[in-house]
Amino acid sequence: MAFSDLKPVCVIDDDSGRTYIIGSVFAVYGAVGSEPPLVYSWDMVRNVAVTRKEITIETANKSFCITNKMISDIEEILRTIAIIECRQKEYNFGYQHEKRMFPLKSMYTECSPGKETYTGEGMLDDGETAAAFIMLLNFKLVKFLWLIALLIMLVVFGTLHITIGISRDNILYFVPISIASGGIASLLVYIITHAVARAKFKRLADADLATRQPITFVVSRAGFAACESCTYESRDLVPWSELDYFIESDKMFILYKNNAAVAYIPKKAFDKKFVGGIADIIALSLEQR
Amino acid sequence: MGAEVKSETIDLNGKSVLLVSVKNGEAAIGTCFAGHTDYSGSASTQTRLFFIGTDPVINLICPNHSNKQSDKLVSFCPGFQGYEPKIHDALGNSFNKLNNGDSLAAGLHDIFSLLEDGVYTAYMSDYYTTDGSGIFFWGGYNISHEVRGTAERSRIIGPDQTFKPCFLVPTEPLDYFTARTRVTTDEQVKHRSVQGIVYHLSGLHSALLKGHHGAVSCTDKDIPYSCAVIEKITEPYTDIIYPEAPPPAPAPATGDGEESAETEVQPAPVAPPKPVFVPEGITGFRSPSVKIPLNAFPKDMLRIIIEGRTEYKPRQFPVLSAKLSTVRRKSVSNNVLPFSVLEKSEQMPDCEMIESAYAIKKLSDEELNCLLRGDVEYNGEVIVSPNFYSSIVTACNFLQFSDTKRFVDFSIAIMDNPDLVATHEYVAHRAAGQSSSKKLYNFFKNAVEGGDAKYEKIIPVAQTFVNRYKDQAK
Repeated sequence: MAFSDLKPVCVIDDDSGRTYIIGSVFAVYGAVGSEPPLVYSWDMVRNVAVTRKEITIETANKSFCITNKMISDIEEILRTIAIIECRQKEYNFGYQHEKRMFPLKSMYTECSPGKETYTGEGMLDDGETAAAFIMLLNFKLVKFLWLIALLIMLVVFGTLHITIGISRDNILYFVPISIASGGIASLLVYIITHAVARAKFKRLADADLATRQPITFVVSRAGFAACESCTYESRDLVPWSELDYFIESDKMFILYKNNAAVAYIPKKAFDKKFVGGIADIIALSLEQR
Repeated sequence: MGAEVKSETIDLNGKSVLLVSVKNGEAAIGTCFAGHTDYSGSASTQTRLFFIGTDPVINLICPNHSNKQSDKLVSFCPGFQGYEPKIHDALGNSFNKLNNGDSLAAGLHDIFSLLEDGVYTAYMSDYYTTDGSGIFFWGGYNISHEVRGTAERSRIIGPDQTFKPCFLVPTEPLDYFTARTRVTTDEQVKHRSVQGIVYHLSGLHSALLKGHHGAVSCTDKDIPYSCAVIEKITEPYTDIIYPEAPPPAPAPATGDGEESAETEVQPAPVAPPKPVFVPEGITGFRSPSVKIPLNAFPKDMLRIIIEGRTEYKPRQFPVLSAKLSTVRRKSVSNNVLPFSVLEKSEQMPDCEMIESAYAIKKLSDEELNCLLRGDVEYNGEVIVSPNFYSSIVTACNFLQFSDTKRFVDFSIAIMDNPDLVATHEYVAHRAAGQSSSKKLYNFFKNAVEGGDAKYEKIIPVAQTFVNRYKDQAK
């Protein structure tokens, strides 16, 4: 079981006087300390929803809301989420979460990383990651931009023909005007989509607390890890078999599962001399696109 | 900071249970997951280690994603190097204290401080010195193999019942056995009240921390192998509570005697099915032998369980992990266990018998007759299991454990019934263990000599039994 050694998190709700303990069981101590606590094993939990503001744990009859404000430390929030995700893997309760920059803890398994293991640590760089988002967008967009440019050209040419009428005198003006219109329109689309990509990254980064934390990156023959350093244990890896393919940019490796990016591994997290070895391991384990 | 060990005895339905909490324990003795190691073979198997100090001692390979109903593959770790002196002394001191009349809490104090944080229970119990299938425990785990009864939850016993583990796994390699030591323990075991100290490992099996030579002597001298048992209380349990049935409606008061007699005869109105009441949250925490409701726990101990982890990674885990792949220089023993000990081990109850004994409280002759007729129900209630084959197997094992005479009669009746041919081979194998039964000898002899087709499946077993019986008689 991955992340088996995570210390349980104790959360105190000052308003209601309750104390929540999230660990190998989920316990709720009432305001009056004399009664035994309400303790749930994780198989009694029906659903857990994690948003950027709160964690809601639902059992058959009750629902408990733990807001991030109750937990003073971001590391504790991340640990709570990690514990819940590990239990989710074990007990299969419903789990809703916002988009993530890094793999869910339920994807990890505990295994021996082996001899050829590269470990790095660092924060995710906003600029680099946004650039990676734009690069990914460009992959999809390039063919459509040509199409848009061609369409706009034809539309403008057609409009000019209908409104003014093409003659031998003005055709030399109409063609460059149409081409320029197509180019300007595709440039506008390109700029807008870039802005959208940046906004998308910002939204994702805001939703995932881990993006503002130091991240441990591990690449080995057995699998990889991209996990907040405060929760990472040295033997937890996501097996390569969990992923489908990867894309390499000049700054990072982006790993995919079901056509969705699962992890962003920046090259600068590792020593420069190891990047070649890391690229080899990833290329041997996954298809490159 | 030193370990904080507190003990308290609680009363549980008139039975006193010793609870011991450990805080800031050294985690020098315990179990931990070691993930999917290279040699475990499949990504769906997990390796669990029982360690003492910086030595991996027992390797448990947990198949099927560590399914609690699956038996484990158990082996003695090749990386075992020997106890650290501090741990060796703690085990020795505790053993001496217990035999000098100290209570379990006081006697085991040194060992508790070496455990992981958590709440434990300790009690005395007799152990069979086997691996649960008739093989003497010491040296029985040199090769990794599936050991019956190591599943955390036995399908036969059921998830709700408590049971006392009673089989052993050694923590010292067999080459530690010396005939010279045994000579002294042969005498010592006669005067000991505690023969060994064990730590519960998995299912019906416990790791023997102290008393290996004593186990050889006790088995040889037919002395009960009484052990001080340490079990960790971690697992949550939930008891489904059936609400009390409403009191029967008072019979209408009538002056007429005949009418009242009639009302007695009338069948009671069919009650609607009882609703099952599942309480909010769990009922309590349990170990194999004891279930403790939340409100019975001392508050601080309950907090230790809730705030604790079921699995710890000890500080020395990297060392343990590295040692797993090393091989001991001496792993083959020239010392031979006495033949009498090995032979007596084969006669001891095995895992299937113990499981059946926990699963069945009693079996009446009427119920046995029902089973022989091929029915699995008696008076509308399932006798053992809805599965007929499983019922026969469990009933056989239960009788073999509890009443040998009835077992012999029952097994002969089964083997004599051609309709139950599917069970013949299994029952014959079980019955063959009763090597001194004259009744079985006569039955098997007739089966061999008679050549009846209905005995076809039991002939090889019967032949072996008859030959062995004759040899014994000589």
